[in-house]
Amino acid sequence: MKIKGVPLIYYLFTLPALILMTVFFMYPMVDGIYYSMTNWNGISKAFDFIGFQNYFKVFSDHRIINSLSFTVTYTILLVIAVIAISMVLALMLNSNIVFKKTLRSIFLFPTILSLITVGMVFNQIFYRVIPVIGKVLNIEALSSNILANPSLAIYGILIVALWQGVALPTLLFIAGLQSVPESLLEAAKIDGANALQRFTKITFPYLIPSLTIVFILTLKNGLTVFDYIMAMTSGGPGKATESIGVLIYKYAFSELKYSYSTTVSVILFLMIMIVSVIQMKVLRKSEVEA
Amino acid sequence: MKKGSRFKTLNYVVLFTGVLIIAYPVYLTILTALKTTQETSKNFFSLPQSLYLGNFIEVIHKANFPTFLFNSFIITGVSVALIVIIAPITSYAIARNLKNRYFKFLFGYITIGIFIPFQVIMIPLTKLMTRLGMLNQAGIIILYLTFSLIQSVFLYVGYIKTLPLDIEESAYLDGCNIPKSYFYVIFPLLKPMTATIVVMNVLWIWNDFLLPLLILNRSQSYWTIQLFQYNFKSQYMFDYNLAFASFFLSTLPVVLIYMSMQKHIVSGITQGAVKH
Repeated sequence: MKIKGVPLIYYLFTLPALILMTVFFMYPMVDGIYYSMTNWNGISKAFDFIGFQNYFKVFSDHRIINSLSFTVTYTILLVIAVIAISMVLALMLNSNIVFKKTLRSIFLFPTILSLITVGMVFNQIFYRVIPVIGKVLNIEALSSNILANPSLAIYGILIVALWQGVALPTLLFIAGLQSVPESLLEAAKIDGANALQRFTKITFPYLIPSLTIVFILTLKNGLTVFDYIMAMTSGGPGKATESIGVLIYKYAFSELKYSYSTTVSVILFLMIMIVSVIQMKVLRKSEVEA
Repeated sequence: MKKGSRFKTLNYVVLFTGVLIIAYPVYLTILTALKTTQETSKNFFSLPQSLYLGNFIEVIHKANFPTFLFNSFIITGVSVALIVIIAPITSYAIARNLKNRYFKFLFGYITIGIFIPFQVIMIPLTKLMTRLGMLNQAGIIILYLTFSLIQSVFLYVGYIKTLPLDIEESAYLDGCNIPKSYFYVIFPLLKPMTATIVVMNVLWIWNDFLLPLLILNRSQSYWTIQLFQYNFKSQYMFDYNLAFASFFLSTLPVVLIYMSMQKHIVSGITQGAVKH
């Protein structure tokens, strides 16, 4: 039997996926948008439809503004640091060195660990190890647990995210470096181009596809940071490290602000959507060039 | 020449420092896991006087650790098995019928999820699962299956499109119908991509924290390894030795897999990232 020229069996093949995506992905999406326009607290029987009121409230909610500014600051720092560190590491790991393979697998190792475990281990390091170093070196800021310091806690989380988060970008940059034709670099060398010129004029253009991927990947990781914060600070001290993800979770499950939390979700969605549209535009452009 | 060798030295110094920075937390974990509480409180940095295995034994006995390990194994194993059945069969139907409106639409319908972070749907999703009475292992397995489709279908469809149609056509001539030619001819050809999908999903599901927190946190008998570690956070602030022993034990399975299947893992996470 055929439907529109396609055997029925093909339709049956796709049935489980269609049902699963509809029930467990699309339905919650639409449901979330609907509830963001109500005042439901998550447990009461009655609630009202209030239109866009939750969305207007967001602009005067200090907690959300604080959370947005933490998340954006964290993301900017993370993106810059990840790109800088992983690009340098990739160049080094791709150069003529001994133990190349072993070194690469050591540098990739942190990616396979769970974010929660890594966060917990570093909790202890910040609590027990760093203060000792701080005291020895006589650096005031490091002499106590930086996670307990509202202005330094963000750097604590950043350090952990970098420890684990530069591995994959390094691997992606190495893949990019391997696409650079050796002959081109040789020719440039003969023509008298120095190392810096060779990097900026020849190597770097080949790294742009990897760079785009790393940028988007890290950006999304930054904007949705959750596990590290739950493992390390729970959003504290005070509200200093309360990311958007953590705020959504807390609003919904411990503060009876169900519909309001879905509003924040929709805002996060819009932020990521803008990023994604830019991503597609940039990718399409770089594909044309390549 | 001299300049080149100086650069090389710098190279090694930086890379070696990097290795130390990566190794230190691992070293500290093993070190502390092997020490007694007295040893640690006397000197956090000292080497263990003897190989004390009491922490491991205590974690395993006291904290119900085997149950959590078992839960993690079951959830990861069953989810990945289902993913490897459902994702390629869906992708096969899509890839071979992309000219048809329904299949084209379905491809977009599934892969649009790439742009939607999980945190956007997590609240209504939890409400749905509560209402369906699915705050249990079966529930979380279905969710892993669903969310993995987003990326798996994207990767599989791309891969199947590169397979020439002649392969199936000769199978049809030999008397195979569509399901048979899929199982005997196409599915075996997908092996490299299946390996990638397995690696990606095992790492994701084993290490995932958010979904278990939402779906399985209510009953301790449902906890996974990650959830257990999170829930013992406050206790760990006081009992370091036990904490590090449990960090070590919960990471061990992934580390063993990493050491034995490194090649697949490297290609798996690279490809996964490229299409994320």
